[in-house]
Formats: sequence, structure tokens, C-alpha cells
Amino acid sequence: MKTIYYLLISLSLSLTTQGQRILIANGYLHPVEGQEITSSLIEIENGKIIGIKNALSESYNLKDWDTVIDATNQHVYPGFVAANSTLGLTEIDAIRATHDFEEVGVFNAHVRAQVAYNVESKVLETVKSNGVLLVQTTPRGGAISGNSSIMTAAGWNWEDATVLRDDGMHVNWPDASWHNNLKGEDNKAELSYLEEIRQLQAFFNLAQVYKEEAPDALDLRLEAMKACFEGKKRTYFHANSVRQLSDILTFCANIPLKFPVIVGGNDAYLLGQRLVDSKIPIMIERIHRLPDHDDDPIDQPFRLPALLANMGVSFCLQNAGGMEAMNTRNLPFLAGTAQAYGLSEQEALRSITLSPCEIMGIDQQFGSLEIGKSATLFVSKGPALDMKSNQVTCILIRGKIESVRNFQEDLFLKYQKKYAKAKN
Amino acid sequence: MRSCGLIVGLLLCVTYSLAQYRPENGTPPTELKKIALTKVDVYVRPGEKLEQVTVLIEGQKIVRIGTFIPVPKEYLEIEREGYTVVPAFIETHSSAGTEKAKSTYQGYLPQLESSKNGDYYWNEAIHPEIRAVESLNSGDSRFDELKKLGFGFVTPIQNDGLVQGTAPLIALGAKKPSDFVLRPDISSHFSFNKGVSQQTYPSSLMGSIALMRQALYDLAFFKYHKDAPLGKLSMEPWLTSDPLPTFFKVNDKWDILRAQKIAQEFNRSFIYITRGDEYAIADQLKTSNPRLVVPLNFPKPFDLKDPYTAKEIPLEELKHWELAPYNFIFLKNQGLRVALSSEGSTSTSLWGSIRSLISHGAKVEDVLDALTMAPASFLGVDSLVGSLEPGKLASFGLYGKDPFLYESEMYEMWSLGIPENVKPLISNTLGRFNLILKNQRFEMTLVGDPKKPTVSLLELKDIWDAKIKIYKKDTVKTSVNFSNTEQDVTLQFTLKENQQVHPYVLRGKIVGNGSVWEGDLIYPDGSWGQWSAIRKAKATDTSGKINLDNSPLPKCWFPNMAYGFEVLPSAVNTVFENVTIWTNTEAGILQDGFVVVQDGLISYVGTNRPNYPPNAHIINGKGLHLTSGIIDEHSHIAISRGVNEGGQSISAEVSIGDVVFPEDISIYRQLAGGVTAAQLLHGSANAIGGQSALVKLKWGVTPEAMKIDQAPGFIKCALGENVKQSNWGERNVIRFPQTRMGVEQVFYDAFYRAKEYKKQWEAVASFGANCPPESLPRKDLELEVMAEILDSKRFITCHSYVQSEVNMLMKVADSMRFRVNTFTHILEGYKVADKMKNHGVGGSTFADWWAYKFEVNDAIPYNAALMHQQGVTVAINSDDAEMGRRLNQEAAKTIKYGGLSEIEAWKLVTLNPAKLLHLEHRMGSVSLGKDADLVLWSDNPLSILAKVKLTMVDGIVYYSEEKNSELAQRNQQEKMRLMVKMSENSSHTEAKRSFFPKKKKFFHCDTLGEEGTTLENMH
Repeated sequence: MKTIYYLLISLSLSLTTQGQRILIANGYLHPVEGQEITSSLIEIENGKIIGIKNALSESYNLKDWDTVIDATNQHVYPGFVAANSTLGLTEIDAIRATHDFEEVGVFNAHVRAQVAYNVESKVLETVKSNGVLLVQTTPRGGAISGNSSIMTAAGWNWEDATVLRDDGMHVNWPDASWHNNLKGEDNKAELSYLEEIRQLQAFFNLAQVYKEEAPDALDLRLEAMKACFEGKKRTYFHANSVRQLSDILTFCANIPLKFPVIVGGNDAYLLGQRLVDSKIPIMIERIHRLPDHDDDPIDQPFRLPALLANMGVSFCLQNAGGMEAMNTRNLPFLAGTAQAYGLSEQEALRSITLSPCEIMGIDQQFGSLEIGKSATLFVSKGPALDMKSNQVTCILIRGKIESVRNFQEDLFLKYQKKYAKAKN
Repeated sequence: MRSCGLIVGLLLCVTYSLAQYRPENGTPPTELKKIALTKVDVYVRPGEKLEQVTVLIEGQKIVRIGTFIPVPKEYLEIEREGYTVVPAFIETHSSAGTEKAKSTYQGYLPQLESSKNGDYYWNEAIHPEIRAVESLNSGDSRFDELKKLGFGFVTPIQNDGLVQGTAPLIALGAKKPSDFVLRPDISSHFSFNKGVSQQTYPSSLMGSIALMRQALYDLAFFKYHKDAPLGKLSMEPWLTSDPLPTFFKVNDKWDILRAQKIAQEFNRSFIYITRGDEYAIADQLKTSNPRLVVPLNFPKPFDLKDPYTAKEIPLEELKHWELAPYNFIFLKNQGLRVALSSEGSTSTSLWGSIRSLISHGAKVEDVLDALTMAPASFLGVDSLVGSLEPGKLASFGLYGKDPFLYESEMYEMWSLGIPENVKPLISNTLGRFNLILKNQRFEMTLVGDPKKPTVSLLELKDIWDAKIKIYKKDTVKTSVNFSNTEQDVTLQFTLKENQQVHPYVLRGKIVGNGSVWEGDLIYPDGSWGQWSAIRKAKATDTSGKINLDNSPLPKCWFPNMAYGFEVLPSAVNTVFENVTIWTNTEAGILQDGFVVVQDGLISYVGTNRPNYPPNAHIINGKGLHLTSGIIDEHSHIAISRGVNEGGQSISAEVSIGDVVFPEDISIYRQLAGGVTAAQLLHGSANAIGGQSALVKLKWGVTPEAMKIDQAPGFIKCALGENVKQSNWGERNVIRFPQTRMGVEQVFYDAFYRAKEYKKQWEAVASFGANCPPESLPRKDLELEVMAEILDSKRFITCHSYVQSEVNMLMKVADSMRFRVNTFTHILEGYKVADKMKNHGVGGSTFADWWAYKFEVNDAIPYNAALMHQQGVTVAINSDDAEMGRRLNQEAAKTIKYGGLSEIEAWKLVTLNPAKLLHLEHRMGSVSLGKDADLVLWSDNPLSILAKVKLTMVDGIVYYSEEKNSELAQRNQQEKMRLMVKMSENSSHTEAKRSFFPKKKKFFHCDTLGEEGTTLENMH
């Protein structure tokens, strides 16, 4: 059966067969890597992109495709990637019962976010509607929060939604600046900072030994750490201040972690060549935030991506912060702001697509629209990094068409109808 | 008779009174009654210093002072040649002798009512009945410390609460209880700090201000209604102490302006005990001419050894460090009467601070006045203390040298005519002496510091010259190891004779004033002998003279922090040409248009080239967009110490207008986001919150200058979870209401009481101004405001979420015949938009926030569009210091969610909030005659790429891209300059303080207490 979806019609129908051949025709292609194509043909089979062509020079035959999606005058993007997010692990901030992102304990290396990921999260569906299709669902709290996993923004269950299980270990670097120093006691913060680093160091040393020597008994925590040394798991260090970042560089120079990553990195631009040489990438904290100090340049957070780009540091954007789950739908606009403050449009787009995928290690399948990659993409009526024109009309996740609607739009239509009736 | 030596500890009998006021155990103690202190240099009063004078003291008082006064026979003469007498200082800011205040409440649940037993005022922060004198511990070491600093009088009080009670005037060093307390009640004390009271109200600065005002009205009412249930045990004593001079302890310079408003309202006058940052508003203080008590305790330099910490120190703190020692000078330059306080100083730092004032350019007479006559006159006892004129109390310090001009120490403190030794007296031994031994004569010279003089000897020898056959004078110079303690001197030296070293050790006494020394020694040959020294020429001690620092006064910025202006910008006539104008009028968006700004107003808008005003600044807007400024209908920036008065469910009496804080960096940052005006709202912690302040974002001006003149009155109300304390933890379960049912009744209760209140006042209205004060009803600040709502003279902006509560409040208002003006947040407004339209209420909402509380579960980003489409006046607001600078982006979201046109979307953050705030006749569009609140954008303002090039408020450019990068650079240079200065100026020995970075805190709707929060999910 041949189906053509004209995208002004809402797409609530979900097709389940993976063997589908889908063509997205005539859309403005933003491949991230490679040339943009004003009018493109994107050929999809078995969830993968099998061909990308220029619609101006190539034609297609309707009969060759199970589904043809007409994207004329619209834009096609790879799915945006929400790195470092509690999305799927929380619903309502004020209600504890809905919180599944922070476990009790200090070294929770064994804790895994994957199994708590709620595919039916109401928040998740509103985020998906703006083009965010991959989520690094991430635990919080403690010195070591646990393992994140990379998930799709829709699925039947967490297994179905998993892209990469336990992709990284999340470490919260101690903070010397204030949290142990509420009373303003001299030295106390300093001492406890150093002590917390020592403890962290000891834990990593233990993990290293555990990996090398055959252990007598299984240790859940240390077992989970193994992959960090083997290169199968990223080690994410969450930190912002220059001192923390500097200490992390030293820490990583002394411990053979395969893929250390800094999450946050507000002051990263101050580390200069040392950071560049370390090749440690940065997942930049939500740039829609206030500068850390009254004295800072007022647009310091907005400019950080461009600063790092100019230094030659690899980075991506992420949206952690207040009300982060619901706010993740604004991830595209973080990239837009980064563009306003110095990134090229290409770089801005890359910072929420291919760059996070590279950092997380899934860039072979995701992050750009290239032949052989997963058909995880969306179509938008206008440029998707601008709220004015971000209007998602079609979503494919691993080649499967997903609904662009969410309960909020449903409520909108419901009440719109109510008022329309009242008028008549 | 004459005493040459010390009299410490020995009180000689001259006369004593035979009259006994109390039984004595045995014969009354012997007292020294008449003393002549001679040959001293005396600061008689500020500006008058006499040298080599005699002071006659009889009993506690000075009877005569002058140069050629013969010492009467019955006087004991005490000679203190070379010493300087300075009148005892008066400390008006001290808690010496008092205990730290403690709360009596020990409960687990919040304390809503007073826990005091007895008929006291209903709020524990108001306790005028407390008399510090009744529980004073005269043995407190802090009294002694003050005395050693040169203070003779102090007015101590336990610093707790808003209305604190009275302080006594204490004479330090007094030997008898009857002399210790000079006046049991000399002053009354106020502050804006609630203190240790655990009562929930007040929980904010604005609450404290409102409570103080209400209490003062209650006092006025009580005067005529002694049976009113206002707390007799508090009010009766307050009436008695009310005429006393009132000292008002403030937390910062803005508090002075706040307290002055209260002073004006109640026709009172306060003396302000300040923080020491008033230099920044010295010129404004000049007009109101307040009396101030300012600290001598200047901020210490920071420890800059750690670059991570140094990076964290705000420029503001560095600027204050540099300016604080000049505060006194700034204030004196404006002609203000200022007293100085030692509070927080140590014995080592106090005189250092005093001398640094003088070295920085303060006049000695001003400094002395500030320590003596100024506080004496503030206290109304300047005929008794403060100077050393006849008739005044003989309390003064005796210093080695003029302590204002030299590094010098105090040797004796005289208290009420009785001297007490503080340090062993050292005679001035400087000069040239003849030292005479058995067969030897020396010329001895003492120079330098009298405590540690450098001593050298010239041996005068007659040497026989065989050639010409006469004795020749010869000299041999030797240095001497010298020490002196009190009257004793020792000298050690060696002489070389015939290649042999001869040691000499001399010990002796100084006789009299130091001109003659005599004593014994052992000669090198072992024989015992006597020696003497006679001064031939006296030298004055000039060591330790302070250096005058002639550098100009440091510059204070407006505001005195990062991005502050060196000179406040002023309005300039401006022409924008060739610019795309978003008019917000029927004209829509004009391409290649012109806007002329004259005298702060828009004088032309159009596409034809107008006449340019003379000297106009011309801005080429080619490719740029000009809009009216963004108006944030819901903001909590620029507020001092508390956004919520959550202590009670109804707090209509409090006002954000009382606590506007103009030094919030958010003001500048939001200017950079195109915001020109905002409604600063009370929070949502209770049903009827507090009054708003409508301000323009003018950076660097005073709170009053930020306020929009003749702006209509607004009040914040709130519904739902915050009001019910749903997310406040297990303790907060007793304040009514805890359900939406109760919320309705809170409103009815308040409005019905307000109606009754109105009736009471209407009943006396016919008397007009002739109504005798005793017939006036009690003024109730809360109901006064509620009555304004009923009269549609004040408008409600109500925090709301779910449709049921929105509907409820509209029904309450309908029944009271007024209109709710605005529902804010109103995230379920889309469900009742038709009802809102009918009621005539507007909606000010978030673009896309939700999921932070249960009550925002049905919040949808299409809300603004749906309400708008039903004809409701809709605005998009921030409620957030960060989002406040991106409101253009938030407005653009309504295009995405609900399909508004660009012109409609833009009005959501400009014209519509102007309408909701009843300011659309002045703001909200680019049209003729409106205020020139304009923003120039790099792009379509709704585009994610749009950046602000320039923001103008009332025709004054407060932000521009170029100026901003200039200021950012200047900030860094200034920071480095100050850090270098801090490292250079602070000696290695000087105590430094460590800097502790704090997380910047912000206010949100349900932030409680005077501190902000770092939490972000509170709205």
C-alpha cells in the first residue's frame, strides 16, 4: 500500500513495520555533516538512511516507496540530542513521588538510569514535539551519581527505547567554593574539598585495582567502573569553576580513563591550551543562564560555545538546570542563542546533534543525516533553532514514524473547539 | 599641696560630703575631691586646643580651665607636662553589659502568635517596654574595653527587634552604682531587624517596615484610648519613652532612605546608626540632613593569595574597601552632623582608623566632634558631656602626644574626675643633658621615641697639648644602652681608655618632670658612686607623626559596582533614522522610518524625514529594528531582603515600594535584554500579599527615582499551592488556609472587615480635618489597602493556576463589585478564557513553563494564544531574573504555540503589559508623546538572533552595545587596580579577611525570608 503524508495533516498514525521503505521528498536538508541540499530526497529502509539525493536533479517513483513524506518548503534535521538530562526520570518537580533521578548514597557507581526511564512520560512527549529525539537520561546526586543511558524519546518500554545502555558514569566533582562553608569558616571548605578529592581518588584507584586483579568477590560498584577504564563507558565529570576543571585535568592525567568528559564547564574557556591539549570535550551547561558573577560579561554564558569553538575544544550543548526536564524542549533555542553569539548556523546545529553523539560515542549511527545512519530525524516548517519557526510536522525515530502531537496540543485543540462551538 | 609622683590607687582626702543618702558600713570612703591637672595640652572642645594649661576639677566636674591659673591651696596638683587631654568619647552604638537576646518560643510548629505572657503588644519584635538599664551587667568586660579606647560614656542596648526599648547613659569608670547610670533612659532604639522573635510575622524587610508603621499608629491611638487592646504593658512605657531621641540601626544606605519615609510619615526624627556605605548617597542625604552614627570599623583587605578566590571577589566589595575609610569625609563634605562609633573595632584598630581618617583629609575638629559633641548633642546631653568646658563632667583621656596627629597611646583615663592608670607613665626624657660622674662630664643626647629613645654620649675631655701647652677640648662619642620604666632609668655604656674597655652601669630615678636624674653606679674600678644628669635643652617628641595623604577622594560609581556609571547618563535628544519601527499602533511595522526623541518623550514617528532637534544625537538604524521597551508584568528583581511577607495569610499592608533595591545587577542585565519597565511583585506565599512597585529600569539611580511617578497602585494576591503551603514541608500545616476552600474565606473575611473599616472612617469624614484626634478610629494599614481595592483605587494581580480558583476569585470580586485586574501565571486560563473576558480580567502568563508543581500539570504553552483569541488582554512575563532578559524570545514562542502573528506576539511583552498596568497612555508603543522607552535591535526582535544594540529609558541611554564592552573592560582594569592597591597598602602584619564566595541568590514567587534562594523551581 502506498501512502503519502501531506504534512499539514496531522500524523497520529503510527506504522509498526520496520521493513518499511520511506522517502522524505523535497525538504531542505540540514545534514550537519556535508552540504545542505535545498530540495532533497532522503531514502530510508529498515530504519536506516540508504540514500540522499538532490530532488532538483533526481526524480523518484512513488511506487518504489511504502511511504512518501512530502516536505516541500520544509526543513529536515537529524533528531536533536538532549545530553545530560533527567528527562524520563521525573515528572513534577514539587512531587517527590515522581522523582527517580537521585539515589541515596555517595558512591552510586552501580545505579543505572536506564531502568527508570519512563517512555510514557508526559514531559517527554512535549520535548519530542520540538525535535528532541534522543535523550541521555542521567542520574543526579552523590559523589558518583551512577550510569546514564541513551534513549529514544519514544518507545514501548525502556528496552525498546534504549540506544546505548550505560553509556557513561557520572561523577560530581567536589565544590570548594561554598557548600561546606555555610558558616564562613576559614579553611574548612578548603580542607573538605581536598578530602573529598582524596576519597574520589581512592575510589577510582580501588576500581583500577579491581579491574586489573581478579576479584575475590563481586563488588557491584567497582564492577560498574570497569568499563570506564576499558573505553566502553564515558566518565562524565560534572563541574563548572576553573579550579574544579583544572583539578579534573590533573586527575584525568593520572588515571587511565579512556573517555573523560566535562559536564558544565562554565569556566572552561579560562583553561586555555591545557584544555585543548587534554582533548577532553565539554558538555556546556544550559547557556540560557545568568553569569556566575556580577562582574562577568553579561553575555558570558551565551558566548561560551563560540569561545570554546575558537579555542578548538570539542563541545556540545546540554540543558541541565532548573526545571530541566520540561525545559529540554527549549534545547534547540539554546543552539539558536549560541548562533546569535558567535557560532555559525552549522556549528550551532552540530552542537545539539553530531557533537553530543560524538562525545557520547554514538556518532556512527546518530547525529547527522548520512547514508548508513539511523533515520532518526524530523521535519520542521521553518528553521528549527528559532522558536519563531520551529514547527515540527513529522518525526522518525529509527525509521519509525512517531506522533508529533502531545497532550498539551490535545488540550489546546479541545478548548479551541469549545470556544469555536460557543461562537456558533 | 603638690604631688609629683603617681597617685594611682591612692585617694587623698580633701573634702567629703557629710550628707549620707544611704547607710554606710563604717565611715564613708575617702574621696579625692579637688584636683588641679597642670601643664597639659587640652582639647577643650572640637576646634579649640589649649597648650600648657591647668584644669581644675572639683568632684565630678571641671570648674576652670586656662593658662595662667594659680593652683589653689586646697587642690592636689597633678602635673602631666607634655601630655594631651582629649574629652572622653561617647559611644551610642553598643550592646555592652547586655545579654544576647533569646527567643522564648521552643515549639516545633510555626509560631503565629506572641509567646509572651502578659498584656504586651501582639508582635514580639515590638518591645518598647524593655529598659536596658534594668538588666545591665556593670561588670561586663566590654565596658572596660570601651574605657581603654578613650570612651567615657555609652548608651548600651541589647540590639534586638524593631522597637527595642530604651538605653541608659552609662558613665564608664564610675566607682559607684549611682554614678554609673547617669540617665536610666536616654534614648530609644529602632531597627529593621526582626531579631530573635520566632513569630512568623514579619518575615521580610517590607513586613518589618509595615509592622513598625502600624505600631506607631497604634501608639498614637493608644494615647487617646488607654483601654484599647493593644498591649498596655508595652504601650504605657512607650508613651513615656516616646519623647526620647531615637536611634535607628540600619543595615545599609538604602535603609536610611526607608527609615526617613517613616520619619516623615510620623513627623519624627531619627539618628541613624549606619553600615558605613553612605558615601554613595552623600549628596542625596544633604537635602534631608540626617544625623548619622557611622562606623570606624573599616573593611579589612582581602587575602588575595589564592587566584581562585581572588577571582570570586566582586568589584563591589573592592570598591567598598577603598571607599569606606573616606565615608566620614564624604559625609562631612556635605555638611552633615556625623558621630563615629567604635562598634566592631578593636583596641589596635580604633585609633588606627581615627588617624587614617585624618590622614585621608578629615579635620581633627570634625573627628573630635564626631566622637564627643555630636553624640552628646544627639543624646541631648551636650551641656553635661562631650567637651571639657567648666561645668561638664571631668571624663577624659590622657595621651602621650596629640593622638590625632601622632601615633600615641593613652596613659590615663579620667572618669568623673578620678584618674585611672592605663599604662605606666613615661616622662619625656628627650633632650640634651649634662651627665656628671665623679670625675667625668658627658654630654648626653636623647632623641626619637621617648619610650625607646636613642641615647648617645659625648665625653668632654680636656687633653693636654704638649706642643702649645694648653688643655684642648676633645670629644669621644659613645652609644648607650638605655631603658626607662616609669621613673627609673638605667644606662649602660663602655669607654675605651688606654686600649682598655671600661664598662659603666648606671641606675637612677627621674626627678620631677624629667629635667633632673640622679642615681648610683659602679665604676670600672669597682668603686661605688653617684651620678646625676641635668637637662640643658628639652626636645619635643615628634616621632610617629601621621602622613597626610593628599591623593584625591576615590571615585564612587553609580551604582558602586560592576557596570556602574562614573557619571550618570542624561537625556539626549535623539533621532533614529532609516530604521524598521514596530509601532504597536495601527501603523504596524514601518520600514525606513524616523523616530525623534526630545526631552525624554517621543516627538515624531513616521517615514517622512522630520526636522531634527538641535544638537540631536543621530543613530542610523539601517537594517535595525526599533521597538518600545519590554515591560515585565511579573518581576522579582531589585528587591531588598525578602519578596514574601508570608508570616500571615493577609499582609496587604506591606509594600515592595518600600524595599526597591537599585543595585541589583539584574537591572543592568535586563536592560541588555530590552526591558525598560517592570512590576516588582510581592511573592505568592500568602493569599493577600503586598503592594507592588512599578519601576523603570534606570541603572544607577535611587529607589525613588526608579519608581514610575503617578503609577497606579497594585497588589499581589495568590491562590493555590503556595498559599496553602502545599510544598513547604511537614511543619507548615497550621496556617489558615490549607485548602482552596479556605482560600475563598480568607478573601471574604478581609473584604468584609475592610467594608466595616470604611464605614468607621466614613462616620468621621464629615468632621474633616477638624475631627478631634481622640475621635478618630484606629488606623489599620492592612484594611486601608483592602478598602482601596474595594474602591477600585488599587488593582489586583493575582497569582493563579487552576481554573477553579480563578473562577472563585472572579466571583468574590463580582460580589464585592470590583474587578480583578490581572491573573498572573494563569496557566489554566485557557480553560476559563471566556469567563475571564466577561469579568474583564487580563492574563499575564509564562510562554511554556509547566511540570514544576501538581497544579501546573494542565499548563499548556498554547495558553497565551487561546486567551488572546478569546479577547483577553494577555502578557508574557518572566518571574525570573534569567528569563527576564530574553522576554523577546518568550514572546516569539506564541507564534509557535498557537499561531499568533508577529505583531500580536510582540505586543505580549510591550503594549499588553502596559495595558494591564494602566500605563498604556505612556508606554507600550512607539507613538507620539509617549515616554521614550525604546530598544534598538540587531534583527527582528522575535528572532532568536536578535540582540539589543541600545536601550533607552525616558530618553536616557542606559545600555548600549559599545558602552557595555567599554564598561566590561573598565571593570577589569578597576578590579586589577584595586587588587594591586590592596596588596601594596596592606602590610604583612595587618589582619586580612578571607573571602567566602556565596551563591548568588534570587527571589521567586515563593521564596521565603530575607535571603534569596538558589532553587529555581519556585513560582
